[in-house]
Amino acid sequence: MVDEPGPYHKLRSEGQYHVGAEPINTTFNEIGKRGQRRLDGYEKATGKALYTRDMQIPGMLYARVLRSPYAHARIKSMDTRRAETLPGVKAILRFDDPEIKGRTLNGSYFTQGWARPKLAGWALKPVHLVLADEAWYEGQPMGAVIAAESEAIAQQAVSLIHIEWEELPFILDQEEALKPDAPVLRPGAATNEIHDPRKHFESGNVEKGFQEADHVIEFRARRRPHLWAGAEMPSVLVRWLDERLEMWVHQQQPYLAKQLIAEWLEIPMDRVTVNTVYQGCSFGGRGNPANNSENGINVLATLLSKATGRPVKLLYDRRDTFFGESGDMGISNIKVGFKKDGLITAVQLKNNFAVYLAATGIDHFVDNTRIENLACEAIPVDVSIGPAWWARCEHLTSCLCLTLVFDHVAAKLGMDPIEVALKNDGSHGHDTSYLDQYKRDHGFPDRDSLKECIEVGKRVVGWDEKWHLPGGRKLPNGKFHGIAFTWDHNWDDTRGTGSAAVMIENDGSVTIIGQHVDIGPNPWTPLCQIVADEIGVPFEAVRIKPWTVDTGFVLMSPDGSCNLVTNGNIVRKAANKARQMLLELAAEKFEVTSLEELDIREGKIFVKSDPARSKPIREIVARAVPMHVSSAFWPQPPIIGWAWHNQGIWGQANETGRPRLCRQAHFMEVEVDPETGQVEVTRVVNVNDVGKAISPESVEAQMYGGTVMGVSRGVSEEMIWDPQTGVLLNGNLLDYKYATILDCGPIDTPIIETGLGHGPYGASGIGEATATIIPGLLGPAVYNAVGHWVDDFPLTPDKVLKVLGKI
Amino acid sequence: MHTNATDSYLCPYCSQGLDSYDSLKTHVLAEHSSEPLPLPDGVIQLTINRQVYHLQVEPEWMLYHVLHDRLGLTGTKMFCDRGACGSCTVIVDGRPVLSCMTLAIECDGKTIETIEGVAADHHPLIDAYIKHHALQCGYCTPGFIVTAKALLDKNPDPGEEEIKAALAGNLCRCGTYPQHPKAVLEAAHVLMEGK
Repeated sequence: MVDEPGPYHKLRSEGQYHVGAEPINTTFNEIGKRGQRRLDGYEKATGKALYTRDMQIPGMLYARVLRSPYAHARIKSMDTRRAETLPGVKAILRFDDPEIKGRTLNGSYFTQGWARPKLAGWALKPVHLVLADEAWYEGQPMGAVIAAESEAIAQQAVSLIHIEWEELPFILDQEEALKPDAPVLRPGAATNEIHDPRKHFESGNVEKGFQEADHVIEFRARRRPHLWAGAEMPSVLVRWLDERLEMWVHQQQPYLAKQLIAEWLEIPMDRVTVNTVYQGCSFGGRGNPANNSENGINVLATLLSKATGRPVKLLYDRRDTFFGESGDMGISNIKVGFKKDGLITAVQLKNNFAVYLAATGIDHFVDNTRIENLACEAIPVDVSIGPAWWARCEHLTSCLCLTLVFDHVAAKLGMDPIEVALKNDGSHGHDTSYLDQYKRDHGFPDRDSLKECIEVGKRVVGWDEKWHLPGGRKLPNGKFHGIAFTWDHNWDDTRGTGSAAVMIENDGSVTIIGQHVDIGPNPWTPLCQIVADEIGVPFEAVRIKPWTVDTGFVLMSPDGSCNLVTNGNIVRKAANKARQMLLELAAEKFEVTSLEELDIREGKIFVKSDPARSKPIREIVARAVPMHVSSAFWPQPPIIGWAWHNQGIWGQANETGRPRLCRQAHFMEVEVDPETGQVEVTRVVNVNDVGKAISPESVEAQMYGGTVMGVSRGVSEEMIWDPQTGVLLNGNLLDYKYATILDCGPIDTPIIETGLGHGPYGASGIGEATATIIPGLLGPAVYNAVGHWVDDFPLTPDKVLKVLGKI
Repeated sequence: MHTNATDSYLCPYCSQGLDSYDSLKTHVLAEHSSEPLPLPDGVIQLTINRQVYHLQVEPEWMLYHVLHDRLGLTGTKMFCDRGACGSCTVIVDGRPVLSCMTLAIECDGKTIETIEGVAADHHPLIDAYIKHHALQCGYCTPGFIVTAKALLDKNPDPGEEEIKAALAGNLCRCGTYPQHPKAVLEAAHVLMEGK
């Protein structure tokens, strides 16, 4: 009864993903071990780690971009003469220079024709000009960019540009923007509504579902705009050398950056070298769309380097990061039908997004519930706010809607929300028996992930003792106690592609070769753990060289929580190829006929039947090929095995024959002050089934780290514009409040390991999930505390006081 | 060792140009019998990680700019760019200060310790931060460690709440906060054991 998957699983090649659980033949010595010293730790803790912003090259110039001071305005005339005469200014590129006039930045996929409209939506298409003469939001980079001897001179020169502006009407509210008489913001567009082929989703029949329901509720939720605000502000360093181009990028997907800059410049890719150093956060935001398709810093810096013959570093300041790095901003109109026992019969969502780059909002109902009747209309709209990009996951709306639907249903029925979750667990409209059958058919363990997560979480948080009716527990300190639960599937484990080599050097040490950027999740230590166990060497013998795309090996970029599930499989395959070569060489030395007679442990190759016959790996590698002269002077080339692996296609878990099996459960306690409206998160318990924890501390780090970000998003993070001018009022980290060490109570992070993931050793991803789910959990937690819903996020004190009737 | 950012070395008494700081010093001692050598206008003296620097700075330059961009001490990070995040923290005469909000000329004659100095001294905070995963992307980490170092210098045996209070001005977007008290407590323990 398992659905027939899509065509992708029929692709058969060495690199293609496997459907079903893979037998685990690896002995776990390093994998799963606590206390492994993280590879990035020393450089980062000592300040020796270099980030793109730290890079300097002799003769380097600095560049700054002009930004629109108005929420919607057109340049009538621009005079750059004063800027040109400022000492230290080396080049000014204007919007009307013939080289760029009317030219767009790239789309986000290689070549415009290659864009996949079904997946891409508007945001990945080439819509932004390199330098526009019209801005539809305040802060939009536009008009001119200047290179000078120092950052201060560049900034001063920008301020000396004299512009005659034509101010145009702006809109901040997405519902206003949809009205027929609303001014159209984006130049050349017919309406503010953005065409997106994915905007309608329907499965089953929601009207039938509502008729079958005992109750139907409708409510409206709102998510105010926020942004991810990574630690290291955007920058790029470019050195144009006439016959080749060298770049240091602050970017999550550097190979794509190489493709896109070569395409834009119409030069062959072999003329481009892209280097990466450490990355000060990214969360998806420093992915390709931002730097190549929207703000264009890579193109602008390159043009300035061409014009001046000097290396150019283009820098953003903190306020600059508030434009075009926002997360979702949306209004959800939600209608739910359900039975008396908590079984949900229909969910209908109407999501109105502004500054849109998001999923429709229905996806998680599809992926991990048995709800048969689902409908979603997602309407993206332009407003006078910078574009939104992925901010730790595009599924913020999916998670917010899922949490609010389940907790509103539980509240209406007066049921424990855990019961409602268990009643509706499933996949693609099927109940859990579908998943059980799938597990049996595909060699997975017979375990119920959601039940296991809930059982552990209930115990850790003390759910049975603490859960109470809404508004039912006032504490001695005068505050109301609230406790809440939500759940989801774990993500992600079914997407990503990449390649890497594993090299065994003459001295027996092992190197992973493959470009990869470290944006923070300790990505390299687990890869070395995997290679160590796959070959049979200690963890300390393995390192990675990830710094340039020019090695030809490109690991999966740290996107979509698939960093480790994809790259783990890549390095596992490559390690086994290198191991095979090593054993073939060793077989000759040991004079055995079958490789099966040999094994490798702790860096030594030995004959299984006679372990005393053993040699260190280095003795095999260094004398791999007989030579006429002493190998002391001419060591042999190292052993290299390389592999590629495709873990799957974005958003196609079920279609690739791999429904999501791992679940997660989250619990939160809050205290709400009825006098001030302040919401304090006093405890969070994240329970994640990650299938297999290859680096347990790194899993925990994503859980508590995501919780801190999620609490911050749910309690305080909000960008605020002046309604009179459309100018952002809190574009700095003093007035835009994000969590400090004092702003979240203790966080427990129990890990469940069911082996139900589709990644290596049954692992699933973890990076995006917690930060994306936790903000919505504030809603039911505050409801449980005060007995009123505040479906308007973030849950700032003014909104809480309003529902309490205090203001 | 002296480092001097000036192109020429003018004697402040007779305006003779010299080709190096050492020649200038020799000249002043021999011709004008003056010691210590007065610094030329716009030149400040900073003792950074126990090394004396004489630097010509513009009046508007921030200490961050001098450390990070001029001296290559890139462990001091720019995150918020206006005194909100603590990533540019250095220790000036024993106090943690935000180098992005401190004019370099204000620091003339002062003693400065950066993350490079903390690391060179093999401070136990370094190992404790690595061990407890009190870092993720690592960009804000030097600021946390320098702030924690300033705390331990003053209070070698802080409680968890004191540590949190000391680190409350440091932002970390990766959300490493729960690990910092563990790392600082361990470093404090190591330091006390060593005494």
